[in-house]
Amino acid sequence: MNPPIDRRRFLASAAVSGATIVGASALGALDPAAAFADPTPSLDPAIDTAAFAEGRVTQIKGSALEVAGSSGDQYILQITNGTSIWKVHPTTIDAIEVGDGLYARGVDMPDGTIAPDAVWVNIVNLHCTISAIGRDRIQLDHNNNALVGNVLTGTTTASYLGGAQTPDLSGLKIGQAVQVLGAWRPADDSVDIVTLWAGH
Amino acid sequence: MACSTTYLWRGETTWFCCGPAWGPCGSAGGGACGGCRSDSNHAAWPNASAACWDVTRPDLCGENMPRRGCGFVLRVRHQCTNAVVCPAIRDCGPRTQSFCGELTCCNGVCRSNRILDLTPKAFSAIGSLSAGKLPVWIYN
Amino acid sequence: MLADLSPLPLGVLLGWTGLAKLTSRTLLRTASESALMRVLHDVGKVALALRALGAVEVGLAAALLANTGRPAPGVAAAALGVGFLGYLGYARVTAPDSSCGCSGGTETPITWRAFARAGLVVAGGLLAAVATGAWWSAVADRPLAAVGIGAAGLTVIAALSTDLDHLWLLPLRRAKLRLLGHPLGGIDATAWPVPVAATVELLERSLAWGAAAPVVRSALIEHWDHEGWRLLRYAGVCDARPVSVVFAVDVKATIDNSPVPAIRVTVVDELTQEVIPEPPLDWPKHRPLPLLN
Repeated sequence: MNPPIDRRRFLASAAVSGATIVGASALGALDPAAAFADPTPSLDPAIDTAAFAEGRVTQIKGSALEVAGSSGDQYILQITNGTSIWKVHPTTIDAIEVGDGLYARGVDMPDGTIAPDAVWVNIVNLHCTISAIGRDRIQLDHNNNALVGNVLTGTTTASYLGGAQTPDLSGLKIGQAVQVLGAWRPADDSVDIVTLWAGH
Repeated sequence: MACSTTYLWRGETTWFCCGPAWGPCGSAGGGACGGCRSDSNHAAWPNASAACWDVTRPDLCGENMPRRGCGFVLRVRHQCTNAVVCPAIRDCGPRTQSFCGELTCCNGVCRSNRILDLTPKAFSAIGSLSAGKLPVWIYN
Repeated sequence: MLADLSPLPLGVLLGWTGLAKLTSRTLLRTASESALMRVLHDVGKVALALRALGAVEVGLAAALLANTGRPAPGVAAAALGVGFLGYLGYARVTAPDSSCGCSGGTETPITWRAFARAGLVVAGGLLAAVATGAWWSAVADRPLAAVGIGAAGLTVIAALSTDLDHLWLLPLRRAKLRLLGHPLGGIDATAWPVPVAATVELLERSLAWGAAAPVVRSALIEHWDHEGWRLLRYAGVCDARPVSVVFAVDVKATIDNSPVPAIRVTVVDELTQEVIPEPPLDWPKHRPLPLLN
C-alpha cells in the first residue's frame, strides 16, 4: 500500500486526465417531463437493501464500533477502507469517542454486523431562530431548548436562501429563522455549526 | 395506491430527528402523528392536517400541496441521482414559510421551497446527511 | 397594599396563559413536544390536558380579578404555581429537550425564566391569599402607587416570559448589533478560499454526480487541493469490486459562479490500483455527451 502522499499524487494525476462530464448548457437543459415518462427510475439495488444504524457509541474495538440504539437495539459496525466518516468534516475512526451519537448507512453482513458505507457522527439538522450573535458563538432557540452554536473559523459557513456556502456570516440577523447543520458536543450539549441555511 | 408513480409535488427536502434519540432532537415526542422514529423510513408533510398547515403555511410561499395524512406512504425521488425511498408520513413539517424562495438546483434545473422533511434513515437512502437538503420529486 | 394589588398582575398572567392554551391552533404540535408525553404517551390526551389546564387558569384568573379579600383564589393560585414548579423540575430532569408548553405556544424553552415565572405565581398567590380588600379599592385609595406597583409587576412578568422576547429583547439586540457592528462581520469572503463544503455542494448537484451515482456508495472520504483542482474521493463498487471514485473540480467553483460545472470523474480499482478506463457511469439518456481526454 502506497503512503498517503504518493497515493494522492497518483490519484490526482489520474483524475486530472480522466473522463470529463461536460455540463448541459451548450446542449440544452435536461427535460424534466422525461422524468415522468420513466415510471421505473433507475434504482441502485444496494441502496434498496441498505442497513441503517442509529445510537451512541459504547465501545471501540480496533475497527469495530459497538453502538447502543436509542430504542434499545444493539449494533456492531465494521469500519473499512470504503467507509466515509463525518464528524464536522471527513475524518477517520480515530476521531470517534465513546458516547458520540451517530447515524450509519451500510450493508448487513451475514454475521449480524453492519459494514457501513457512510457514518455521520453527532450530526444534527435543527430548525432554530437566532436569539443572539457573539464573536465565536450564536445563541439559538431550538423548538425545545436554548442552544449554543459554536462558530468554527475556517469551517462554519452560511447559505443565504440557497446561495453558495460562504464563510461570510455577517448576513445573519437576530430573530432570523435558520437551519443549523452541525455536530453535537455531548460534553456540554452545544453544537459545532458546520452550515447555517438562513431563512427569513 | 401509496409509493406509486403518480406525481404529487416537488421541491426541496431536508431531514429531521424524531422519536427516541441522542442529542438535540426536533420531535423527540414521536411527532405530530406519534410513532415517528429516526431509524424508520418516515417523513413530515406540510399539509398533514389543518393544524399542521397553520404552522407550516406553505401557501405563503405559493405552495398549495394537497392534504396527505398520518400514515400515507409517499415515493420520493432524488432529482439528480434518481435514488428512491418510500417514507410514511408521521409528522408535520417542515416550516416552509420560514424559507420561501430558497433554491436547490441540480445541473441547472432548480427546485424551490422546503416541502418535505425526512428521517435520517429515509434521507440517507437517497443522499448524504451532511448535504442537509436535496431537490426531490414526490409521488403518491 | 402589595397583597391587595397582587391579584391584578397574577390574574392577568394566568388569564393570558390560560386563554393562549384554550385558543391555540398549534396545540397538537406543542403537545407532541411536551414532557407530558412521557406520562400520557398520547398526543390527543396531552392536548386535552393542556386545554383543561387552560380552562383552570382562566377560571382562577376570573376568581382572582373578582376577589374581594377571600383567601381561596390566592391559595389555589399558589398551589397551581407549586404544581408548575414541580412539573418544570420533572420535565427538566427527565426530558431536558422537551417543550414547556407553558403558554400554548411552540417556542418556549425551559430556562431559569420559566422557573422564575412559576415562582412568581406561587409568591403572587400567597400574597393574594392574605389580601384584605379588593384590588380596585387599593387602586382607588392610592392610584399612583398602585399604577407603579402594577406596572412593575407586569414588567417583571413580561421580562420572564420568553414568548414576549420578540417585542423587546430581540429589538434591543438588533440595535446593539447596528451600533457596535456585526460580531461575525469584517471578513472579506472573496479573499478566502472556497470552503470544501461549497465544493461538495457543487459536486453533489452536478451531472457528474448523477452519472456516477450507480458506482458511488460512501459520503466524502477525503479531499485535497492540487494545482487549481480540488480532488474529492468517495468509495464505490464497480462490477462487485471495491473502487475509489475521484472527482476533480475547479478549486474556485461554487454553485453561484458555475451552475453547470465541468467535473472530471475517475474510477480506480482499490485492489489493483488501476484506473478503470470505461467505468459504467449512468449517462443521461436524452442527449450525447462529449468526452474530453
